[in-house]
Formats: sequence, C-alpha cells, structure tokens
Amino acid sequence: MGSSVPRFPVTHKSLSLDIKGNKTDVVLCSYDDHFLVVATQIGAMGTILHARKEEGVSIEPTFNVSSIFGKRDEPMLPACARKLIEHISTSGSPKSLVLSLGLKDHSVETLRGIVSAVIDNRLW
Amino acid sequence: MASGGSDVDAVSKALNSAQIFAGKQQQQQLLQQPDFNHKGVDVEEENGAGLEITCFSDVFNDVPLHFQILRLPKQIYVWIGCSSAKLGNLYAAAPTRPKDTVSVTSILGGTSDNAGTGIARRLVLKTGLNVILASNIPKNSPMLQAEAEKLLVQKLIHLGYTRQKAELSSS
Repeated sequence: MGSSVPRFPVTHKSLSLDIKGNKTDVVLCSYDDHFLVVATQIGAMGTILHARKEEGVSIEPTFNVSSIFGKRDEPMLPACARKLIEHISTSGSPKSLVLSLGLKDHSVETLRGIVSAVIDNRLW
Repeated sequence: MASGGSDVDAVSKALNSAQIFAGKQQQQQLLQQPDFNHKGVDVEEENGAGLEITCFSDVFNDVPLHFQILRLPKQIYVWIGCSSAKLGNLYAAAPTRPKDTVSVTSILGGTSDNAGTGIARRLVLKTGLNVILASNIPKNSPMLQAEAEKLLVQKLIHLGYTRQKAELSSS
C-alpha cells in the first residue's frame, strides 16, 4: 500500500466462540508492556485481573496475580490469569497481563475453554 | 462477503482456522479501510465476530496520539497512547445513582495526578455507559490531555456511542 502514515502500534485480534452454549467474545491486544485479554459473555468486561512475573533470582519464576476490579472470591478467575501469565512467561515475553473476564458461569470447563481459545489465538 | 485483496483473505483464513465452533456457523466480515484525511488520521475498523474495535492515530504538536475504542454492549474500553504503546494507568468509571453523578477510581498504576480520572469521568457523562480507560499520557501536560480528550470525543460522536442531549437531561 505504501503510505507515510505509520502503522498503529498496538496489534489486536477479535474473535467470538461458543463455550458451553454461551457466546463468548474474546479480544486480545498487545501493548509495549502488557497484553490485554478480554473475554466476555455478559456484554461487559466484568472482573479485571492483573498478572505479572516477579523479578527473582530463583530458576522457577513466581507470579503475582490479583483481582484489581470486580470479584475477589472466585478462585477460578485468578487461576485462569495464572495459567495465561505462565504461558506468556515461558514463551519468552516479559510483558504483564491484564485479563478481563465477564462470564456467566465460572466452571472449570468454561475457563479451560477460554484459556485454550486465548492460547490458540495468542499474540505472544 | 465483500473482500478485495490477498491480505484480507489471508487474515480471514487465519481467523477462521483459529475459531472454535460448537455446531454454530458464523459469518465473518473483515473490513480494513485505511482512511487518510488531511490530518493524517488512520482509521481501522474490524467487524470480526461481534466486537468492534476502532483504532486511530493523530499528531498534536509533534506528539503522536493513538486511540483504541472497544465497544461492548454495556461498557466502553478506551486506550489512549501518547508516543508509546504502553498500557499506562487504568481507570474505571461508572454512572452512579441517584443523580447523574459519576464515580471514578484508579485501578492500576494510579498516581496522584488526575489526568485519567477527569477524562474517564467526562466520558461516562457523555456516553452514559461504564468506562474503562487506559492512558499513558504523562501528568503535567494539560494541553495534551485536553487535545486527546477532544479527539476521542469527536470520534465517539462520529461512531454514535454518545447519548443524545435529551437523554442527558432526564433522570
């Protein structure tokens, strides 16, 4: 195409899939220092979690995962964030993750479906 | 499905292979329309499978500004990038009863500056929706903040995401 306007600096991907009968919209964005993953079934971002790799000297990396907005009592949500940040880290990317989950159910199957959809379409 | 150009086909194929279906057929439309006007604004809209993401850029005083708007049915996510593509600070804002007031809070990376909170608050007033705003505009740059907000609101009006004045005055 050849133009002088620079490319937009953030790459993104948007898809929709069906998980246990619920239409799930997934959006992935890649910023300089973060990945943003939005997975919603309720038309809103829902609970937002932040996951990052801790700086440390040990061989095994540790991660800090916390809910920064929304539910704090659903154990599967930080588990989902933990799975994704570990995948990001082992892929070699130093970026942190902001994960937004607006789900109708918090079952293991739903979260597994989301994790596999995100990993299949990952930007890292 | 109108699609011209081999790169559109390639992206469509990539998206198709990445999708997981459960007995449901979905039609995808991938629109890529780079649109250059005299200000050098680049607009991309992707209507793939449900969610619209609008990306555009502009320049103010030699500073590149980048914008992303993600429209969810009940919420809007906005990212404002100033020079870099860092995520920046995250703010959440929502309309609050009983009157048309707005609550805002910083949820990630918040400092003592009110750059993002002001913008998030006014976006809620204009759209009537919950807003999640990510912004890496440096503090102590009010001109940049004002210009970024102005460009953003212009785009929101253009996309039809703002509410009419009649709705605003009713409570």
